[in-house]
Amino acid sequence: MLSAIAARRRGSGLGFAMPAILLLLAFFVVPVAALLTRSVTEPEPGLQNYVTLLGNSTYARIFFNTFFVSAVVTLITVLIAFPVAWALAIMPRRWAGVIFAIILLSMWTNLLARTYAWMVLLQQTGLINRSLMALGLIDAPLQLTNNLVGVTIGMVYIMLPFMILPLMGVIKKIDPAILQAAALCGATKAQALWRVLVPLAAPGIASGALMVFVMSLGYYVTPSLLGGTANMMLAELIAQQVQSLLNWGMGGAAAFVLLVVTLGLYAVQLRFFEPGEGR
Amino acid sequence: MTAPFLHINGIRKTYGNVVATDHVELAIAEGEFMTFLGPSGSGKSTTLYILAGFQDPTAGDIRLRGQSILQTPSHKRNIGMVFQRYTLFPHLSVGENVAFPLRVRRMGQDEVAAKVKRALSLVRLDGFEDRMPAKMSGGQQQRVALARALVYDPPVLLMDEPLSALDKKLREEIQFEIRRIHQETGVTILYVTHDQEEALRLSDRIAIFNQGKIEQVGTGPELYANPATHFVADFIGDSTFLAGQLAGVSGNRAGLRFADGTLVADVPLHGSGHAGQAAELMLRPERIELAPEPGAAGASLPVTVEDMTFLGNNTTVAARTSWGDALSVRLNFGHPLSGRIARGDSLYIRWSPEAAHAFVRG
Repeated sequence: MLSAIAARRRGSGLGFAMPAILLLLAFFVVPVAALLTRSVTEPEPGLQNYVTLLGNSTYARIFFNTFFVSAVVTLITVLIAFPVAWALAIMPRRWAGVIFAIILLSMWTNLLARTYAWMVLLQQTGLINRSLMALGLIDAPLQLTNNLVGVTIGMVYIMLPFMILPLMGVIKKIDPAILQAAALCGATKAQALWRVLVPLAAPGIASGALMVFVMSLGYYVTPSLLGGTANMMLAELIAQQVQSLLNWGMGGAAAFVLLVVTLGLYAVQLRFFEPGEGR
Repeated sequence: MTAPFLHINGIRKTYGNVVATDHVELAIAEGEFMTFLGPSGSGKSTTLYILAGFQDPTAGDIRLRGQSILQTPSHKRNIGMVFQRYTLFPHLSVGENVAFPLRVRRMGQDEVAAKVKRALSLVRLDGFEDRMPAKMSGGQQQRVALARALVYDPPVLLMDEPLSALDKKLREEIQFEIRRIHQETGVTILYVTHDQEEALRLSDRIAIFNQGKIEQVGTGPELYANPATHFVADFIGDSTFLAGQLAGVSGNRAGLRFADGTLVADVPLHGSGHAGQAAELMLRPERIELAPEPGAAGASLPVTVEDMTFLGNNTTVAARTSWGDALSVRLNFGHPLSGRIARGDSLYIRWSPEAAHAFVRG
């Protein structure tokens, strides 16, 4: 009987997935196709939207901002998340649980609330500037909001859990005896880190970095609140084109470029870190 | 007297109130194959980890060629180690795994290649350089681990139950390889195992660990023929213990009286005791003879046969003394009595006086 169920299950696997497939078709594939269509038909048929987008220096600036901030955010996130994930993996279970809960709680707290909190912290008269001045490290307040510095700080904070989680996954699977072996083989702590730990954690670093980079590319709330109008990123451009200017063609073209970049990066990751290869 | 090559000097390690090892004292000669044998939790692995530098002792010192190594961190101790679990670097090929200790020492490319080739040849894995560890059997992986631990010519090689994950046949094969490698390289080996057969097969000397202490150190035959404690007698080889009372102690020899009144006179006594104290007579099954009539007085006891098990080259007879102690006797295949005894038969066991040992009940 069990085998009959198994056989049926195998045959109707597609059936079970149908609701999800239909949902994706209706609310993802169709709108994307519609947007793509509008990007090459509005205001008139042709590729002029893409030509403008990729040729105009204002837009080039926005593309640069987007990719630069995303890359910096990804890099800083890796650098902060790696020691945190390592500490979580080796610390006693009870402590790891508490810290893990704090990370999750921060993730579950409302995004707007957290971004506004950063605005308060980072502003001219905010806690950070006042503390630095009180300590005598700076004479005048630093400009930390309404620029890409603020965007980067806010986004690193928001993206950290998405890097810590996959990193913890791979680091937990590394047998501590492998690092003991490396030490007895003569490897210093730095050598063990670069020659053993980092390569073994590479699949986790790659999937975390991809997740953070792609999420950063399309992030809207934090850049718009902490970045100000002068430092636009791609998601803000799309919102502006569609909401304020009702330029669906331009908005669609920008969205489509973002989608292509994302899929391209995903393909690269699949190519180099096939699922199940890392251990 | 010159300092021993490797001196484990009064090592004590405690975790809170738990004593893992207590005053472990051992001198190891250069080129010696020394095995730490004992049940799990007896402190043998703790001692090894202290040697490796993974743990610091609470008290005591470890000296290699007269120099303390406790202040030296693991990666500078220049000690080789093969672990219980497979610890090859999974992202590196076999060749790169073996090359790893040389690369972190920044050795030149040609020298690395030559040394890797020689080390792989030593463990009979010539030409496996490009293989990935995941594509190898457990036995092959441990051989690569052995090559990796020996490639930088360490003065001491530590092995922590390296064969416990392998099946019996493979284990014997690799034991043979380890012996050959020990002879070829002359490296000093400290080997941890809970398998007495493995210890006897490999070692020059064996240190028997029990409850954080070394009970006895000696060659296999020494430990078997002359166990210092009940624990050693029980752990090395099969043994039979018959309960009695000390009767007349003089120096390290004593008499022993059993419940049926039989007196066994003048056997070697281990541990100090006085007349009337509870003690045990230890006999090895192959030193006990089964016969229809009693032997010399003081080296013979009446027993009742309880069961027989045919095991090919011998038949093991389970018997019981009149006061209820169980014992076993081996009859070699073709022994005149085998096939002619039945359950419930009353027979006599006989033993040569020098084969018996008395242990005071601790």
